[in-house]
Amino acid sequence: MPLNIDPQQILLHMFNLVLLFGILYVLLYKPVHDFMDKREEEYRQRDQKTKDALSEAEKLKGDYEDKIAKAEKDNAVLRADVTAKAEADREKIIGDAHERADRIVNDARDKAQKEHDRMIAQARQEITEYVSRAAEKIVMKEGDLEDDFDSFFENMSDKE
Amino acid sequence: MDKRKRTRFLVIIGCILAVLLVLIILTGGSKEEEPIRVVMKDAVLHEYAKINFLGIMHVNPGLVAAYTVTGIIFGFALIVRIFFIPKFKDIPGRFQMLLEQAVGLFDSLATSNSPHRHRFLGAYVFTAGAYIFIGTMFELLGIMVPTVSGEAVALPAPLADINGAISMGVISYCVILSGGIAGNKFKGVLNTLKDFSLPISMSFRLFGALLSGALVTELVYYYITTSFIIPVFVAVMFTMLHALIQAYVLTMLTALFYGEVSGQEED
Repeated sequence: MPLNIDPQQILLHMFNLVLLFGILYVLLYKPVHDFMDKREEEYRQRDQKTKDALSEAEKLKGDYEDKIAKAEKDNAVLRADVTAKAEADREKIIGDAHERADRIVNDARDKAQKEHDRMIAQARQEITEYVSRAAEKIVMKEGDLEDDFDSFFENMSDKE
Repeated sequence: MDKRKRTRFLVIIGCILAVLLVLIILTGGSKEEEPIRVVMKDAVLHEYAKINFLGIMHVNPGLVAAYTVTGIIFGFALIVRIFFIPKFKDIPGRFQMLLEQAVGLFDSLATSNSPHRHRFLGAYVFTAGAYIFIGTMFELLGIMVPTVSGEAVALPAPLADINGAISMGVISYCVILSGGIAGNKFKGVLNTLKDFSLPISMSFRLFGALLSGALVTELVYYYITTSFIIPVFVAVMFTMLHALIQAYVLTMLTALFYGEVSGQEED
């Protein structure tokens, strides 16, 4: 044949190529490819696990943030209640204190008034008593005037 | 060694080399037994240099080279499979990295050209790439084998033999055809047969490219005056370039056509 083309040798070359394909596929290509695939799959799984863990953590974070927000809301409501109650208590205490103070002041004022009235009455009674006693002595003995004055002054100093 | 001694040493070595060079050139002319035309024709057609193949038949040196290359690759693959692959680690060492890069390179070539169907294609282009590259580099070893006429001939690159190049082209075409059948059934066959010139173009591209390297090397070695220093660049550089370029071209073309005929056409 032209160019020294030989069908038998072409077939022998083909046989050699197919044989080489089988050898390389079984001994080299497939094991190396399988190893690379396995490693890739392993890394993909690791990546997936990491992503899952991350999303789980994000979910947990969201849950906790919700819980914190709810707690803060409850806390605000509770604080408002407590504040309102404390305000009411304060108002009540102040009111009571004012009332008590008014009562004490009124009592003191009443007492002072009573004491004042009593002292006025007592002073009036004493004055009346002294005046009547003095008049009595004047009427009884005019000669003994000097003695009566003496005795009057003695009585007064004793009283003091 | 001081400067004076070193100069004297270099002058003596230079003189010896110059004398040897002159003697080689003077004695070389008489050994040109075959004219250049015959040498070149034999390098292309291998009509005279036949080798006894396992005592069965007389074949071209390219076929023996093909089986030798397969034997070398088989030995290498077997050693790697037994001793290295079981010890592969998640964080690869240098050798593991090299193997993974080689497999990954052809796998990604197959995946990018035929994303829907690429496992078989990846394995094929890996084999074809390895065969073309190692087969072409094998030429550099210059293993001598006896011909049936009693002379010694250096084993060439398997694909520098027209029969080897045709077989590679035809098998690549068959792989493309199988992709068409697997992907699109009868329509895939028609798509593949549409490019009926593909096996011829693939075969002769490979043959021509590798043969041109062989011819240039042959030409350079034929004349004694160009047998110094130049072959280091011509032989090594040409061979390496051919090995890389042809491995890339054939695998890329195969992957491209495979992806084209096996792909589902969009409505």
